[in-house]
Amino acid sequence: MDIRESILPGIGIKYRIDAESGDRIVIIIHDDGRRELYHFDYEDLEQSISMTTLNDQEARQVASIIGGMTYKPKQLESVEMTFDDFIIEWYKVEPHYASVGKSIGNLDIRQNSGATIIAIMEKKGKKFVNPGPEVVINEDATVVVVGERDQQKRFKQILLNGSG
Amino acid sequence: MDHLVFEVGLAIALIAAAGLISSRLRFSVIPFYILIGMAVGPHAMELWHFDFRFIESAPFIDFMGRIGVLFLLFYLGLEFSVGRLIKSGRSIALGGTIYIGINFTLGLALGFLSGFPVAETLVIAGITTISSSAIAAKVLVDLKRTANAETEMILGIIMFEDVFLAVYISILSGLVLSDSSSLGGVLLSALIALGFMLAVIIIGRKAVPLLNRILRIRSNEVFGLVVFGSLFLVAGFSETIHVAEAIGALLVGLVLAETEHAKRIEHLIVPFRDFFGALFFFSFGLSIDPLSLGGNAIWLALAAVILTLFGNIWAGMLAGRTASLSPKVSANIGLTIVARGEFSIIMANLGKEGGLLDIVQPFAAIYVLILAILGPLLTKQSKPIFNMLNKIFKFKDPRLRKEESKTI
Repeated sequence: MDIRESILPGIGIKYRIDAESGDRIVIIIHDDGRRELYHFDYEDLEQSISMTTLNDQEARQVASIIGGMTYKPKQLESVEMTFDDFIIEWYKVEPHYASVGKSIGNLDIRQNSGATIIAIMEKKGKKFVNPGPEVVINEDATVVVVGERDQQKRFKQILLNGSG
Repeated sequence: MDHLVFEVGLAIALIAAAGLISSRLRFSVIPFYILIGMAVGPHAMELWHFDFRFIESAPFIDFMGRIGVLFLLFYLGLEFSVGRLIKSGRSIALGGTIYIGINFTLGLALGFLSGFPVAETLVIAGITTISSSAIAAKVLVDLKRTANAETEMILGIIMFEDVFLAVYISILSGLVLSDSSSLGGVLLSALIALGFMLAVIIIGRKAVPLLNRILRIRSNEVFGLVVFGSLFLVAGFSETIHVAEAIGALLVGLVLAETEHAKRIEHLIVPFRDFFGALFFFSFGLSIDPLSLGGNAIWLALAAVILTLFGNIWAGMLAGRTASLSPKVSANIGLTIVARGEFSIIMANLGKEGGLLDIVQPFAAIYVLILAILGPLLTKQSKPIFNMLNKIFKFKDPRLRKEESKTI
């Protein structure tokens, strides 16, 4: 991959990325924080065929997604990603939630909501990937859940009230 | 002077209305500011309480326009960096030289062939040479062209023009503003101007650590006052030694750009630049009586527009070739920087201050109006224009030629 950086005085910084696939992507970081992504046609590298504008925050979220999901949702209550009908959502467990202290099996999450917990991150840094039914949901943990939109809704109910 | 605030309020309201119209039409705002200024003025009417003649407030509006020039040039200095220019490479220096060389020569030819004296010719060449950074940069962003291959070259040429502008104003202000008429006297004042510039830059460079310390001010209010104070003092002092005050402002910007506070100053200055800049275009329009625009000024301006279009496309193609860009991309270069604006008007004002022929002002007005409107249009339509030109000239792609020779 070939990346070229150049300064655009009065506008911002430009990165030109030639990917192995032959695609050319140009990213402009404007001085006002806006990001513009351009995609160039690899049959005619002078013609941009699509472009997207993101604001600063959106750009950071997209970057974390492209960067391989290492995104840690520290400041955010919940982050959402969608693949067709499937949504991956982050939930921060507040101390007053009825589900605090109960295990996944006790709450019977899969049965009641249809959604699946794919990861739990404890505040102290303990991580559970694909947690089993014995894992307990503690306060301040972040729960990553995959499911369709109404499944997510039911899961949120369980998290709040302890049951569907 | 009883109703000064009211008159200035009326002026600002008119400018705001012009701005609103231009943004509704999605158009460059500069020609609208000038046009609204031209529409009012001493020849205009007085409606009940609303005095559209701006007789009492004219000197005041004029002064605010002058402040606008100071802020424009100050900002230019802040943004500009020699390091950046050097980094941007040989092809850009070459492209910039080609661009200025062609357009400046054409400007000189126009002036001399029209029978103007030397000073007027030099001012006219200045007006026709320097593109509007404001319009070009805005058009690039608005048309989503920043990602294109020619963008670096375009911005590089603009930066190069800024350097040319600084040196040229300093020489020209020595020539036009000084009282001496002998060659020696003119040279002397040009030397004083250049010497002053060098002195400020050198002292400024040495003083950067000191300036860093002085500007470490927590209060925004005091910080602003210190920056404004130094800007106005240096600019005003420059004027006393026949160096255009705009140059003084540019120098202050160049020096402060080196300090660690450059970003904060930039942040502080932008609203002032925009506000007083708008008044600058308005006051320029105000100084022109549209009823006097007949005859020579129009023909001269039209000739200059044609020359500029020709010079731009030619220079763009050549500059693009030096950077081995394709003809299609090269055509974009010339067509994007065709717009003329703030710097041409600064040049025209210099001519006015120096008491040159009256035709320079209306000429600059028509010329800037046409190109400020035509520039963004040409940029937008660069593709069909290139296709049309290509049918006539059949440009060769330097990259293809290289590949051909490789295969042989």
